[in-house]
Amino acid sequence: MNKCEDKEVAFFGKITAGITHELKNVLAIIRESSGLMEDIISISPEAIVKYQEKIQNSMIRIKEQIKRGVNLTDRLNKFAHSTDETIAKIDLQETIEQLVTLAQRFARLKHVELKTVPPSQEDPPVTLVTRHIQLQMVLFASLECCFTVMSGGGEINIGIRKLEGKNTVHVVCKGDLPGQSEFSRNISESEKWPVLQEIADCLEGSVDLDETAHGIVMRFPDEISR
Amino acid sequence: MKNLKILLVDDEEEFVTTLAERLELRGLQARTALNGEAALQMIEADTPEIVILDVLMPGIGGFEVLRRIKAQHPQIPVILLTGRGSEKEGVKGMGLGAFDYLMKPLNIEELIKKMQEAIESQP
Repeated sequence: MNKCEDKEVAFFGKITAGITHELKNVLAIIRESSGLMEDIISISPEAIVKYQEKIQNSMIRIKEQIKRGVNLTDRLNKFAHSTDETIAKIDLQETIEQLVTLAQRFARLKHVELKTVPPSQEDPPVTLVTRHIQLQMVLFASLECCFTVMSGGGEINIGIRKLEGKNTVHVVCKGDLPGQSEFSRNISESEKWPVLQEIADCLEGSVDLDETAHGIVMRFPDEISR
Repeated sequence: MKNLKILLVDDEEEFVTTLAERLELRGLQARTALNGEAALQMIEADTPEIVILDVLMPGIGGFEVLRRIKAQHPQIPVILLTGRGSEKEGVKGMGLGAFDYLMKPLNIEELIKKMQEAIESQP
């Protein structure tokens, strides 16, 4: 058993609580929209004509929320299946995109917008043989580190770069941020930083502060030793 | 209850605007705020008779908004909305002075009943 496995349950709880909370909002909008149509229909046949626009808008809202709900359940389902194999061959970009969707709500609560940086068309997809759930944990921990020092909100860009043959994930924070040295100090003093380092270590990777931008750089091996 | 001035506070815009439309169809005056900061400003500008407040919002969270409302306008009853599966948040909110709480998704008839109870309980 690796030392990060005991953190997996808490991570699972946090992510599923976030997604199910968002699903409740989806259901709440569907309930109110269908309720509004029901209210109008029950007034009189004339009301249906009078409030036609409200009925149409309600139907559009319901369709949009169903789409949002399906997307959330798809992501939640994929997330749940990331424990199917302890060590698996995964697509790094796909994992980042998955994690960003799962973390959107946490970011929104901090007034932060999360964006993935699309990989270069010339580069082949980056695949890793690693602990999938812990890879998501380390990515999430890096975002949490950024959240702690972005009190004024902003934007986080997360993407892959293949540097000197190493699989590198760059997390870059933008917004009303302090200078580079203060930003780096704040991140390294945040309570999430040691957690991030520990999980990166479990994945036989490394984590550093980005010396060229307000951000974090993580490196992961092609394959971890079993 | 007719013409009751309600302030609905929730960051889910579509939820809060649709709920406001439903309440207006029932003859109530519902205004909406999408965050705690806006809600507090609206309360100062035109004091509502009741506030329906989501607990989890970006910026100033629901509990902090509740604390500030109770400090400045203790007479305004506040009903909390929570998306959590447990009653923990609601109970905490009542400890901070909320009249009651409801879980999402809402039942509008239950909300109206709670609002009526809150208004009737006013001294």
